[in-house]
Amino acid sequence: MLARTALIAALLIVLIVVPPLLGIGWQNALTNMLIASLFAMAFNLLIGQAGLLSFGHAAFFGVGAFATLHLMGAIEDRVVSFPTPLLPLAGAAAGFVIGAFAGYFATMRSGVYFALVTLAIAELLHSLAPHWDGLFGGEAGLSSMRMPWAGLTFGSPLQVYYLALGWAVLSILLLWAYTRTPFGRLTLALRDNEQRVRFIGYNAHTTKVIIFSISAMFSGIAGALLAISNETANYSLFSTHVSAQVVLHTFVGGSTVFLGPAVGASIFTLFAFYISEVTRTWLLYQGLIFVLVMLYAPQGIGGLVQTHIQHWSKISWPELGRAYALAAVVAACFAAAVVFLVESFAIIFSPEYAAARGRLDGTWPPFKLFGVEWEVFSPVTWMIPIGLLAVGLLLLPSARRMLRETWDQILERAEAARTAKSEIQLAGAMER
Amino acid sequence: MNREPVLELENVGKHFGALKVMEGVNLTIADGERHALIGPNGAGKSTLFNMISGMFPPTAGEIRLRGRRISGLPPHEINRLGLSRSFQITNIFHRLSVFENLRIGVMARHGVRYGLFVPISRMRTINDEAEAILERVRLTQRRDHSAGDLTYSEQRALEIGMTLATGADVILLDEPTAGMSREESQRAVELIREVTEGKTLLVVEHDMNVVFSLCDRVSVLVYGRILATGTPDEIRNNAEVQEAYLGEEAA
Repeated sequence: MLARTALIAALLIVLIVVPPLLGIGWQNALTNMLIASLFAMAFNLLIGQAGLLSFGHAAFFGVGAFATLHLMGAIEDRVVSFPTPLLPLAGAAAGFVIGAFAGYFATMRSGVYFALVTLAIAELLHSLAPHWDGLFGGEAGLSSMRMPWAGLTFGSPLQVYYLALGWAVLSILLLWAYTRTPFGRLTLALRDNEQRVRFIGYNAHTTKVIIFSISAMFSGIAGALLAISNETANYSLFSTHVSAQVVLHTFVGGSTVFLGPAVGASIFTLFAFYISEVTRTWLLYQGLIFVLVMLYAPQGIGGLVQTHIQHWSKISWPELGRAYALAAVVAACFAAAVVFLVESFAIIFSPEYAAARGRLDGTWPPFKLFGVEWEVFSPVTWMIPIGLLAVGLLLLPSARRMLRETWDQILERAEAARTAKSEIQLAGAMER
Repeated sequence: MNREPVLELENVGKHFGALKVMEGVNLTIADGERHALIGPNGAGKSTLFNMISGMFPPTAGEIRLRGRRISGLPPHEINRLGLSRSFQITNIFHRLSVFENLRIGVMARHGVRYGLFVPISRMRTINDEAEAILERVRLTQRRDHSAGDLTYSEQRALEIGMTLATGADVILLDEPTAGMSREESQRAVELIREVTEGKTLLVVEHDMNVVFSLCDRVSVLVYGRILATGTPDEIRNNAEVQEAYLGEEAA
């Protein structure tokens, strides 16, 4: 508990102290990271705690953004006066109201049907928005300006970052407090067994509508922060891409761990920021990472971290370190081979390369990758990925064995400690 | 038996499309009575339980709880009126702790349904009551274990605890000792007798030892009709019942 508080405090200090030292690009990326984290945390209230998988959460994210832009426009036109730092309240209100409305219908069903209704609601907004000038600004969307307030200009990305940080931290704290309330406990019960919840006197539908609205409200705050940061939004906010992204973030981060979704969202946003500069195929890598996490660590990154913390005292680090080092070598070999192949083919099959071939009468010019020129039909070129794959495959069985054996030992020690403890308890009870 | 009726079924029937599974069921259960519902498989015992508890409404007739019509009400409203049921297949919150399972029920009793502004840890009455029920169903040792990790008979005890937790005084238990060894089932009967003290009990049960040792009155349900209602002795000596049910069991 103490270690966890210290860890979170340290993380907060880093988030407060480091950004001024970074460039504007990174500051913007960090703001997006916070927004994505908050959105994923809001989304996880549904899937992680209530067991409801929504495929249309972009709806509430977008609604929050548009509501905020309307309010910003009204402030700009001096129709109303409203403190700029409190703008996300507009997103929260809009998210809550639309969430209650959409949730009323969506939560009449569960499982696949629930997911399909949420998907349909987001799609409805996505196709409606480009044709509705007044509300969504048509295809171009809405734009507005952040107005200064009480001496704060909100002109620099850094100020926007701090605004986003404040709202994200506050919202996540509220979401954590939620888990401690009676309603938070009821939410977990609902996830486990909706039927029983009904038979002990709770209206399951009302309960689900409230949970859905709260999740939509926090999604709306995230959308509002995006609107404040970008000063513009259009119908693409309602796209399935946005809805899918939040699912991806949440599951890679781990929906069963409270801060897991924020971890997943942070890693993916920063990964996207960094890698999308380097290669156009970054979405493919993102998808590969998602698939690998789902296959080999279904509890997500947060789940992995939690397992390590849980068994901290039982882990013998030199042994585990050796196993992880070998696994890292294997992973690096595979990753390098895959990246090499993907990037090579991306170049060879690109229109630019076809044009170059055209200029050279159909011969195959060498292509440039990682600062080196490679011949397309030279065995040397393809020996590299094949060699890397071979090394990886060669080391894979021993890496797997080492990982399995080390973890088996850790779990055995944990189990032994647990039985010993419960035996002591039992003995104590007998004496009494 | 001149006590006030608590649960009344009047001409209750149920059909699914053209299929009639129940017809003209009349049953009156008095305050504080322990009533058993027996009958061969497929006789409609579970259907009757489901209609009383609000899983689905009857297609004919009326069900009244303390004179108030409850047929057709959703389960949570029936529960709030003071009728609580257990399930034949254990129906608990597997991933929550044993204590948490009971506390959810106690919260419902106190009407803390949508409490979002005070942490549950500060609600002393609710926590104390949950602890008390934990002790009554003898699960204090397992307080912080996941409900899914309990043994089968412990889960059945928890199931009964949850049924009690909402504070209802009419308790419906659906085969509470199903799948238990003789010894376990004996302990379960003691537990049920103890925790339903002063409450009205309607129980579906296959084990005749349980029925005859626990209940004041017995109703026999065969092919969706009540064949006979009476004290355990009357039922044991009823020729029709012997033919339809007990005889079959003995053979």
